[in-house]
Amino acid sequence: MTATSIGTLVALIALVALITLVVRPRGTSTVDFYLAGQRVGVATNALAICGDYFSAASFLGVAAAVYVSGLDGVWYAVGFAAGFVPVLLFVAAPLRRFGEFSIPDFLGRRLASERVRLVAVGVVQIVILSYLVPQAVGSGITWQLLVGHGLPGLSAYATGVVLSTAVVAGLVAFGGMRGTTWTQAIQFVVLLGALVWLAVAVAGSGFHYSEAVADLSAEPLANPVHDESGWHLQPENNQLDPTEPATFGQPGAAYGPLAQFALILTLVMGTAGLPHVMNRYFTSPTGTAARMTTVWVLGLAGLFYALAVMLGTAARQQIAAAVEHHPWLEELTVDGVLRVPEHALPVLGRIYGGDSGLAVVAAGALVAVMSTIAGLLLAAAASWGHDVYERHINPRATQSQAVWAGRASTAVVALAAGGLAIAMQPAEITPAVPSIVAAMVTWAFAIAGSALTPVFVLAIWWRGTTAAGAIAGMVVGGLVSVTMFVVGALPIGPGLGEMLMTPTLVAAPLAALVTWFVSRATTPPDDVERQWLVLHGTAADRHAERLARLTIASLGPKSRRAARSARDEGEHDADG
Amino acid sequence: MEHDDGVDEHDTPAEVDATFRTLRRVAITHFVLFLAAVMGVPALSLTLGWWSGGRLAGGMSPGFAWAAFGLYAFFLVIGLAAATLSSAVEARMLGGRQDDEDRYVGDTYPSDGEAP
Repeated sequence: MTATSIGTLVALIALVALITLVVRPRGTSTVDFYLAGQRVGVATNALAICGDYFSAASFLGVAAAVYVSGLDGVWYAVGFAAGFVPVLLFVAAPLRRFGEFSIPDFLGRRLASERVRLVAVGVVQIVILSYLVPQAVGSGITWQLLVGHGLPGLSAYATGVVLSTAVVAGLVAFGGMRGTTWTQAIQFVVLLGALVWLAVAVAGSGFHYSEAVADLSAEPLANPVHDESGWHLQPENNQLDPTEPATFGQPGAAYGPLAQFALILTLVMGTAGLPHVMNRYFTSPTGTAARMTTVWVLGLAGLFYALAVMLGTAARQQIAAAVEHHPWLEELTVDGVLRVPEHALPVLGRIYGGDSGLAVVAAGALVAVMSTIAGLLLAAAASWGHDVYERHINPRATQSQAVWAGRASTAVVALAAGGLAIAMQPAEITPAVPSIVAAMVTWAFAIAGSALTPVFVLAIWWRGTTAAGAIAGMVVGGLVSVTMFVVGALPIGPGLGEMLMTPTLVAAPLAALVTWFVSRATTPPDDVERQWLVLHGTAADRHAERLARLTIASLGPKSRRAARSARDEGEHDADG
Repeated sequence: MEHDDGVDEHDTPAEVDATFRTLRRVAITHFVLFLAAVMGVPALSLTLGWWSGGRLAGGMSPGFAWAAFGLYAFFLVIGLAAATLSSAVEARMLGGRQDDEDRYVGDTYPSDGEAP
């Protein structure tokens, strides 16, 4: 790694730390620490949600999936982006209007059951760890590839894991949701900036997207494999029509007929159950703002994934053509195809921008990891600190004690994730490792979409949902998804294995059915009608808007103009 | 009231129930459209040869073009339409001016999101 690359990374981390320091919570209120005072504006929250959501799997993984599988890899981009449509339609506004701290908090109060809250805490922690560990593994891999050496007594991989989790845990514990909101927003801008720069550089070089897809589709799709005879290209099997070769522009290079639907549905359903993403909706000032935030997220996600797909296609064509003029590519490729597909964007960055270009893309990858780790740690802190400590361990806790419990939870969960990531360390980084990362992220989506999303949506839209039904639904959804995932990992044959590895197609309807069936046999909470007014009424929204108008009216003319301008942009600044 | 804008900060159960049913219809309608568009991509690939074998200007197939950027524009459009319609429904059906305070006695709740 060059001095330019190191300088870029250090400057970036320093910028994030500075922002956290400036906007850190001044008081010791739990609403301030976990929810940024519930005054995060539409645009800011949308950027922060994107920073939360777009992990290394989105930044490097989507381009890599397209690079390896062509159209079948595009399903990842479609599924990741599509997940916010159900969030907008069914979850965002009612969730914010109910106004709690976390998913377990919402379910516990909606269904008037501490048992529901604790079961939800368990499911949420499994989802968080499933998502957190691969992020830590990803940061270790990135560090090893880019820096190549570690701190005294630690391997390069372990150094990457320790530094990333420690730095992010420190920033989250210090900055809380307010600091994390701004750092995630900035981090997403950096992430998107890296993609846009790369896309402009590629397009400026004469790359023609449509022609590239046609050219790549003209011959069978082949990828490097390593066996007794060494590295060589091997054509991909066509999962849809074994008599025809798989090609870049047609489906079938990775998934069979059922697996294509199963993958998309797993990713679509999973988003609404991701705790670190859903917790961000509680920070919006109103339900309407939460809904509009999701519209912004849909626009930003569309831009992000469309660029990622384009760059994956560009990498497939341009890297093969660049080998002749860039000798350093020879050790990374086999006949012009990358051995490790996750290298697609960094290599493209180096081709078009030299060491600085590589540094920009590497910074984007680390930023993606760090912002997602931050969101996950904060969600874990809210879950342990609020749902367990404040509710069950020390119900008489002061605000200060509760905040410190959240900070301690952050440290413990970071330690657990870092420890697990180091324990999973492979003897040497091989091309198989990034697939482990992607598989674990998909696992998190599968558990969230199977165990949490059905119960979550039913609790919002069906008065008859009961605590017993919710518990049964979460347990069945979780167990079925984990069982299918484990069975799918066994060598049971192509097609069926991929389908079982994305179990939401089966597990989510089953969880919904069990929730409905058990709820029909039990009694809903007594105050369900009162809760319905809070969930689906807009009185609290109007009250908040009225207070904002009164505040503007009480300001001087100059301040009023500034405040009105801010309001017109749909913003309530995070600093209030 | 100094800044009375005619907007009441209480909802009645009947109003909320009617709004809830309308919003549920809006959400389900948009979700069916969304699901058809998303699941239609692999479904068309499996059933119609021209969807993945045909060529648009430049050489990209209709299926690839739809998955690579058409769907994201569709998500934004359907999301914006649903959000706008839902907010309009809420504005029209909830928060009407309260002229007769007695009408709400017994079935109103505070506006701060907390149950009484």
